Amino acid sequence: MRRRSVLTSGLTLGAGLALGGIGKLRADTATSGKLAIWLGYGETAPTYQLAMPAFKQLYPNVQVELLTFDLREFEAKLAVAVPTGTGPDLLALHDFLFPRYYESGSLDAVPSDLAAVAGDAKVFDPTFTTLVTRDGKPWGVPWWTGRSALFYNLDQFKEAGLSGPPQTIAQLWEYSEKLAKRGADGNLTRAGISLRLTEPSGGIQKFGYFYYQMTGQQIFEPGKQPGMVRVTLKDNLDIATQALLDHVEHLHGPKKVDDWALKHDAQGFANGAAAMFFREAWVIPFVRKNGPDIHMGVAPMPRDKAWGAFNLVEILSVNKDSPLKKAAWDLIRLLQEQKYLDNLLETSGWIPLRKDRDFSGFLAKNPEYRALMEEPAGYKQYVEAPDTAYQEVTARTGEVILAAYRDASLLGNRDAARKMILKAHDTAVPILKDAGIYEA
Amino acid sequence: MSIASGQVLSPPTSARRGRLATSLARLRRQHILFVLATLGPILLLFGVIRVYPILETIRLSFYNYHITQLRRPFIGLENYARLLDDDSFLTALLNTAQFSALSVVITLTLALAVAILLRSIERAAPGFELLFYIPVVTPWVPAAVIWKWIYDPMYGVLNLGLSLFGVPRLGWLQEPNLIVYAIVLVSVWKLLGYFVVIYGVGLRGVPEELLEAAELDGATAWQRLVHVVLPLMRPIILFSVVICTIVCFNVFAPVYVLTASAQGAPAYDFKVLVGEIYQNGFVFYHMGYAGAECVVLLLCVLSLIAVQLLAFRER
Repeated sequence: MRRRSVLTSGLTLGAGLALGGIGKLRADTATSGKLAIWLGYGETAPTYQLAMPAFKQLYPNVQVELLTFDLREFEAKLAVAVPTGTGPDLLALHDFLFPRYYESGSLDAVPSDLAAVAGDAKVFDPTFTTLVTRDGKPWGVPWWTGRSALFYNLDQFKEAGLSGPPQTIAQLWEYSEKLAKRGADGNLTRAGISLRLTEPSGGIQKFGYFYYQMTGQQIFEPGKQPGMVRVTLKDNLDIATQALLDHVEHLHGPKKVDDWALKHDAQGFANGAAAMFFREAWVIPFVRKNGPDIHMGVAPMPRDKAWGAFNLVEILSVNKDSPLKKAAWDLIRLLQEQKYLDNLLETSGWIPLRKDRDFSGFLAKNPEYRALMEEPAGYKQYVEAPDTAYQEVTARTGEVILAAYRDASLLGNRDAARKMILKAHDTAVPILKDAGIYEA
Repeated sequence: MSIASGQVLSPPTSARRGRLATSLARLRRQHILFVLATLGPILLLFGVIRVYPILETIRLSFYNYHITQLRRPFIGLENYARLLDDDSFLTALLNTAQFSALSVVITLTLALAVAILLRSIERAAPGFELLFYIPVVTPWVPAAVIWKWIYDPMYGVLNLGLSLFGVPRLGWLQEPNLIVYAIVLVSVWKLLGYFVVIYGVGLRGVPEELLEAAELDGATAWQRLVHVVLPLMRPIILFSVVICTIVCFNVFAPVYVLTASAQGAPAYDFKVLVGEIYQNGFVFYHMGYAGAECVVLLLCVLSLIAVQLLAFRER
């Protein structure tokens, strides 16, 4: 009796495994099950939710599980879940995470119709197509960008007698000195420009905004070999040193325009504690909500030797291990439609990347977005170099730059500033070497 | 009666001895089975959630283990060698030692002082102990968020209070020289109540007769404290020092909340050991390297405890 039941169980298990195997083989086109989506940028969740009724019409038996996490938590969860086959079906990856999942073979190839769209220069700027392309074919569809711009307080500009935003980096520093405000005790009560003085990754990124305009290069440039990264600080040592000295000069001494004790970033700007700062499009809805009295202007990045805007791009891909690949790609197709892109723009403030969609109605109602969505001639869009060690290299290099900001002894001390730039360079190189992506 | 007693007391025959041995053996077996049945699951759980992770962490520390990479080569002591050149790790080690030294000394001294004061108001003591204990049961994260607002340089209540005495604006969480004291203050606030209760229990255990005898011999209050109370409280103080050291060396949540993700309200990036382990392990995914840092942390804490045990041993 017992033997028979063991045999029966064995056969059932075997049949189950076999069926499971067949199920796996057919799974790509499954039309029922649970489609998991994880987001690090939770503000985009309403757009996915808006697309659900249309998706449900296509896949009535697919249940969508939409989970949002804190950005860093999202990255950590993804890093653990995807390689073990327990990750989400739809992968919403920022451009610096994308290479990691391509390298580990976790991405499904983009279906031919979407691939044609992703590769069409009329639809996507080639910068973004390049970002998702490996071995001649796309592995994801660029969706939105967090494009950098200068945000400035119109009332405070007027009060300082300034008629418009700064056009150059030199003008930016000059304006910031005019806009900085001190209290009776001599302490700054308003930053002329809110610099990124903490959080190393963000610190090096914002320092990089100045560096790019001054050199025409990013600190971390794509290497000649695919997937490789070059550190350019030594190539532009004098200019990088000058960029650092400019920061130190405006953080210490008589030309001081910012202070660690002030509220910073979008929060500081919304409180009126900062007259200018560099950020991305999400600032517009944030300031409207948190600083309704602030009259905000948005301008393209000020120029120097070069002129360009940094783009943080969100890419939509599908997990190669997903049993619902077709459904996931169909959802990505839906998310390209005008209705959902409008919603993305309105609710999150992130800029859709589709050039073939019409946002003129939106721009007429929201003119602040013009500086973020219109591209004047000569205004280049650039993205991070694909970098599997992005977080580590930016955090560790940023620590060096942020420590240099704090060091008042660097004021006017070109040699010491140069040493700090070299230290930042020497911090980055071994990290990239360890990750196997360093190009000399 | 005497015969019966004689029978009972007479030496057991070999058959009897055998039976006795058998029942003893059965009893021992049953005892062992009982112990295994009752303690086994707990020991198994302890092994799985305590011992195994420690052993696995030690093992990982000898590998170049990146969570997203399939190749995980054995690299011997290379992770440990790299720690010696890692500025971030060395800074974190130094900061943690500084923070722990300050926290342990201030917390335990204050707790002892408060417990002694509460002894003089015996009837009201439980109420005060409860008040001191409230921060202990308050979760770290909301507590740290509240402290972040207290420390805010522009709108914080601490700077507002100090400004009444003419103290200029201070960036408690922004100034590298101030932040350690700011975090120590939060830690003392959080831990004090626990040790007040522990010391309170210890003080209640000091025999009144000894204190009265010392008083009759003309000992002052200070002399009674130093020569009677503290020696009797040695085990309690040792327990407190060990526990407080372990807790302080493992500090993470308050530092993380007070200093991280603070773009709007910027804060100095105050590095502590567990923060470095978190960053290397769960942000940069260098599990092997983070494992080596864990082992160093373990060794640091064990060494400190060994030193404390030696310092407090009975002479």
